[in-house]
Amino acid sequence: MRVPGLGHLFRWRYARPLLQAPLFVISLVMILHGLLGPSLAPKNLATTLSWLHFRGVLVLVLLCAGNFFCLACPFMLVRQAARRFFKPRFNWPRALRNKWLSVGLFVLILFTYELFDLWSSPWWTAWLIVAYFLCVLVVDGFFKHASFCKYVCPIGQFNFVASTLSPFEVKVREQDVCTRCHTKDCIRGRREPVSDLVTIRGCELALFQPSKVGNMDCTFCLDCVHACPHDNIGILSRLPASELMVDPIRSGIGYFSRRKDLAALVIVFTFGALLNAFGMASPVYAVETWLGRMLHVSHEAPVLGLIFTFFLMAEPVLLLGLAAWLTRVWTRSPRALLPLAVRYTYGLVPLGFGMWLAHYCFHFLTGLYTLIPVTQNAIASLGRPLLGEPRWTLTGLPANVVQVIEIGFLVLGFAGSLVVIHGLAADDSPERPLRAFLPWAAVCLILWCASLWLMFQPMEMRVMLMSG
Amino acid sequence: MAFICIAALFQASCSRPVSPSASVAIEHEISPEPIRVGSATLSLKLSDAGGEPITGAQIAIETDMSHAGMSPGFADAREVEAGRYKSPLEFQMAGDWVILLHITLPGGMKLERQIDVRGVQPK
Repeated sequence: MRVPGLGHLFRWRYARPLLQAPLFVISLVMILHGLLGPSLAPKNLATTLSWLHFRGVLVLVLLCAGNFFCLACPFMLVRQAARRFFKPRFNWPRALRNKWLSVGLFVLILFTYELFDLWSSPWWTAWLIVAYFLCVLVVDGFFKHASFCKYVCPIGQFNFVASTLSPFEVKVREQDVCTRCHTKDCIRGRREPVSDLVTIRGCELALFQPSKVGNMDCTFCLDCVHACPHDNIGILSRLPASELMVDPIRSGIGYFSRRKDLAALVIVFTFGALLNAFGMASPVYAVETWLGRMLHVSHEAPVLGLIFTFFLMAEPVLLLGLAAWLTRVWTRSPRALLPLAVRYTYGLVPLGFGMWLAHYCFHFLTGLYTLIPVTQNAIASLGRPLLGEPRWTLTGLPANVVQVIEIGFLVLGFAGSLVVIHGLAADDSPERPLRAFLPWAAVCLILWCASLWLMFQPMEMRVMLMSG
Repeated sequence: MAFICIAALFQASCSRPVSPSASVAIEHEISPEPIRVGSATLSLKLSDAGGEPITGAQIAIETDMSHAGMSPGFADAREVEAGRYKSPLEFQMAGDWVILLHITLPGGMKLERQIDVRGVQPK
């Protein structure tokens, strides 16, 4: 926020709509081109932008900066506009004030992505974006605050988990200033002195800045920055992943170690990263064919369901359960297995993010320039080839170059997980940190080897093979 | 309003006149079978409404994967005998492919045809 120009922009009250507007226009173009443009995915903006460029840019921005996609989220622009006409009346149901619903939706998105081959269908991709807009309008049309962001949005949950590794965080500059503050505008919102009407909103995700720790649940919306009357909140640098190594009580979240739903989200984030890559690699052919033959089914859904159950439930239960049991035995800890497993699961975040980075950057970098001919083609289809004839031979970086970058991300993720787990072990079991560290390091090693093996598999598109 | 305008533009630009391809029969064959990653050959047979072979057509072949991010392959088919054309193909990856035929008939008439190639298998 001290950076000339940038700081001024972020302090400006309309910074968010300004950043949201271009993404909103791009979303509209993607919907229209997806529904009315070429049905072939490589020639359509909906599929090219969604499955190559958006995902790649998203993970790179999360790695290098922070949760800036949520800041510029186009869905929230529409929600904000709609709330001028429809004021939500209800509070989000108490039973759903956790991550279980969003974990389920996260799994559902991964599942439908594989089942319906979303990457190859501009039409379905466009409808997915439309559905997202409608879902935002319905949820935040009925429920107050940022219910959709905090409890529903699967992309948001992905961003929350990944941004625990980001180098920037929205936080207070000086705690003393907050201690002396009596108005607490960062959470209550800035109000008119007489009418008590809110003029600048406080945090809609219930994160009270003085006791907020890390990026979990923070959408970088900057409401707190604008509401703070002391200019004491900014986007500040910090040590990535440091928030995963400590377990203080966090505003709006509580203790990480007591949040089974958050741990489940981390499990889906980490094991889902491997599963998502596995879904596009060669061995999945053999596995699906074998399972289909065993079950005597020709439809992909039950086979895919079994694969998902194994990767997202059986494998984590087995690996994390065994590691927790070994930790308990070796450190002679009196704690039960589940709290131990929950505590250390957060150490897997860097490994999972390394895999997402490797996977998404592969598609992004190898198809980097494809946006040019697809855009040229879209404009030419309007009747005037203003950008010239499409240059379809433009693709991206060579696969062998990208593979080196992928390995770099995987190594970075593995090292990050070891550091976090070591920090957790030292904090959790100061007398026997090595004994607490080893089982979880072994889990990381197994997952890392699986990631490396996956990265060296020839990429294949599994489409229609089951029924073909 | 902007949404409706852009939609109308896309809709108008995407509406094509009735294709002349109805009067041209195109048969195709890809060898070797089953289709695997690597080189293959596309054989085409063009005939008119009366079943007579169409000679002298220019056929540009474009091969795409069904997903974004891959460079399309381009080739020109050559006529090997009256109404029969052949073109080399290169499938770089297993999965679903699409072959687009951009055909210019001897009279200058242009037509496009899409051939879906399901499930190219690994080597």
